Amino acid sequence: MYETATILAQPPAPGGPGDLKSYLPLILLFVLAGAFAVFSVVVAPLVGPRRYNKAKLDGYECGIEPSPQPVVGGGRVPVAYYLTAMLFILFDIEMVFLYPFAVTADALGVFGLVEIFLFIATVGFAYAYVWRRGGLDWS
Amino acid sequence: MSVLATLVTAAQPVPVPAPPAPAATITQPPISYPAIMPILIILGAACVGVLFEAFLPRHNRIAAQLVLSVLAILVAGWRLLSYADEMPETGTITLGRALAVDKPTLVLWATLLVLTIGALILMADRTVERGGYFVADAAVRPGTVQDRAQAGRGEMQTEVFPLALFALGGMMVFCAANDLLTMFIALEVLSLPLYLMCGLARRRRLLSQEAAVKYFLLGAFASAFFLYGLALLYGYAGSVQLSDIANAAAGTNRSETLLFGGLGLLVVGLLFKGSVGPFHTWTPDVYQGAPTPVTAFMGACTKIAAFGGILRVLSVGFGTTSWEWRGVLWGVAIASMVIGAVLGLTQTDVKRMVAYSSVAHAGFLLIGAIVLKPAGLSATLFYLVTYGFTTLATFGVIGLVRNADGEATHLSQWAGLAKRSPLVAGTMAFLLLALAGIPLTSGFVGKFVVFQAALSDGMAPLVVVAVLASAVAAFFYLRVIVLMYFSQPAEDGPTVTIPNLWTTGVLTVCVLVTLFLGIAPSLVLDWTSSGVFALQ
Amino acid sequence: MTPTYYLLLSALLFTIGAVGVLVRRNAIVVFMCIELMLNAVNLTLVTFARINGSLSGQVMAFFVMVVAAAEVVVGLAIIMSIFRTRRSASVDDSNLLKY
Repeated sequence: MYETATILAQPPAPGGPGDLKSYLPLILLFVLAGAFAVFSVVVAPLVGPRRYNKAKLDGYECGIEPSPQPVVGGGRVPVAYYLTAMLFILFDIEMVFLYPFAVTADALGVFGLVEIFLFIATVGFAYAYVWRRGGLDWS
Repeated sequence: MSVLATLVTAAQPVPVPAPPAPAATITQPPISYPAIMPILIILGAACVGVLFEAFLPRHNRIAAQLVLSVLAILVAGWRLLSYADEMPETGTITLGRALAVDKPTLVLWATLLVLTIGALILMADRTVERGGYFVADAAVRPGTVQDRAQAGRGEMQTEVFPLALFALGGMMVFCAANDLLTMFIALEVLSLPLYLMCGLARRRRLLSQEAAVKYFLLGAFASAFFLYGLALLYGYAGSVQLSDIANAAAGTNRSETLLFGGLGLLVVGLLFKGSVGPFHTWTPDVYQGAPTPVTAFMGACTKIAAFGGILRVLSVGFGTTSWEWRGVLWGVAIASMVIGAVLGLTQTDVKRMVAYSSVAHAGFLLIGAIVLKPAGLSATLFYLVTYGFTTLATFGVIGLVRNADGEATHLSQWAGLAKRSPLVAGTMAFLLLALAGIPLTSGFVGKFVVFQAALSDGMAPLVVVAVLASAVAAFFYLRVIVLMYFSQPAEDGPTVTIPNLWTTGVLTVCVLVTLFLGIAPSLVLDWTSSGVFALQ
Repeated sequence: MTPTYYLLLSALLFTIGAVGVLVRRNAIVVFMCIELMLNAVNLTLVTFARINGSLSGQVMAFFVMVVAAAEVVVGLAIIMSIFRTRRSASVDDSNLLKY
């Protein structure tokens, strides 16, 4: 452990990630977002009209519909939801490689462009499979 | 995937604090396309297979998939052979040092390709099990009305073929991986399809699904260990290149905690894949529950890929520190041989028995892998070739002995099999003798060369334990033979199904190879001892 | 803010994950513990990338994330299929294969 500590000891660079000053704009942004949320919630009931109906009292875009029978196993959540969630995770995470590519696209040149299109094509094969096999049908 | 790895390897020299995307161009690492062509063909064919699944009508798929996969493997094999002639003597390290294509790699690749053709033909056999070994629709819940309806349908999930090709591609990259990150990606590319294939059996679907869950959870657990080992070694050497790790270990007095902690975790992950005891616990369950052709594929090919990786990691990455860790692997090898031999004695299921035999064999293989000399390398490679063919044929034969409920794998059902079907009983007896290592079979020569290499490196005590373990193991192989030949057949005993011509061909070839390598091993021995790992 | 603390934290997370795999009984929770182990590795990788002053560790974390996502999809599909049959995700109930 001692040896590990000696090679690891390294002070944070000024203005670098270890320096908290560089987080100031981020903190300001959080404060702004929070203030806006509070403002909306407080002011909307005061100035807006009040007309309730059933649809308005529903959960709004909160994903899983409550199941009719919470039996163990059978139907806690619609199975289709799992499928969509899994597909989303898969295609979403694959895109992580596009960020490093985008940042260095100029430096990588034509070869990099060809490679990234090949990569997108392989993801496209998977997409074609999912689409043709009905993985995207919500029923 | 591997091409992407090249790109990011190329991006490495950019220092962290600097703003990203400097205007300077990143030089592209040279790629030797002839060297990696077999991998590209296999993975490309797997992608085409996925498209087949998407766009072909259901009744055309199985034939199209089988033709595509076998064709791809043949073309890959042809490219491999033509590259073998032009390859430089020391091998080629390509894709920014991510892959090392050298003589041992070519031996492993060729073996994997041949065995996979055999496994694919077993998977495509639809005469032994009506409709095929695989379920028609894996999403249907077992035991329901729909499930009984689909059991009668003569269809199967043809996704197994692209999945097998992906697994094969992963195995080929795994054998050739020259850095740990490539190795990890390859490990996952070979494992994930296998997890799925384990759960697709047509009969006994609950067992099959249970095998898939167990394999998956334990496999993911083991790969997490491998990954943490990778991270610690990266911290130690500042790189995950095997040769950089070796140089760092030889040249400096850096923290040994990181080095040996990392090595330990890494090796746990690798030994798990090779089903070396005490990391074997998944093996019997998965071998028993998986569809038999998948078990054959796993038993033969995963073992080859895993030991290919172990050999390279130990000799290229950690050869310089071998005196520190070799004692531990001595212990592991002994544990594996003893566990395999002793627990194999108590088994009542043929598939589980062969699984424990594979644990014992993993111990023998590990002896060869820790010799770390050219003799050890060539002996281990030869052992892998012999073991692969014998195992494929063994599971192929096990799949033929059936009763009304599917495969009859309980030992009591095998009683008196020789009276019902002398040919199958004789083949099985021969294969079991080969697994036991009786002279005139390839198993004997394999054990002989491994023990010889170990003795020449001063590992006499280990060889003594290995010989004792093989004697104990021989007992349970012989028990099956005695049961088949000298017991009265049961009244409602199983019958032997006649497979189609292709399966018969595969079994015949494997048995002939087992015999041939036992009588005239020198041809293949010359081939496996023709080169060593590329170091760079 | 020495990087050693991050290494200790990630070792701790990895251990929590490993112990979780061994003691928890629900397949989904076991699986979440494995994901925790993978993410602990990611933390180790980026910490070492900072210490070594090279980008490769961060890039490796990308690869680990992608592999973890693929594993989630395959794993959940397998666990789901057995869960629908048995109506239980407990690993203790998967006991048909033994001896």
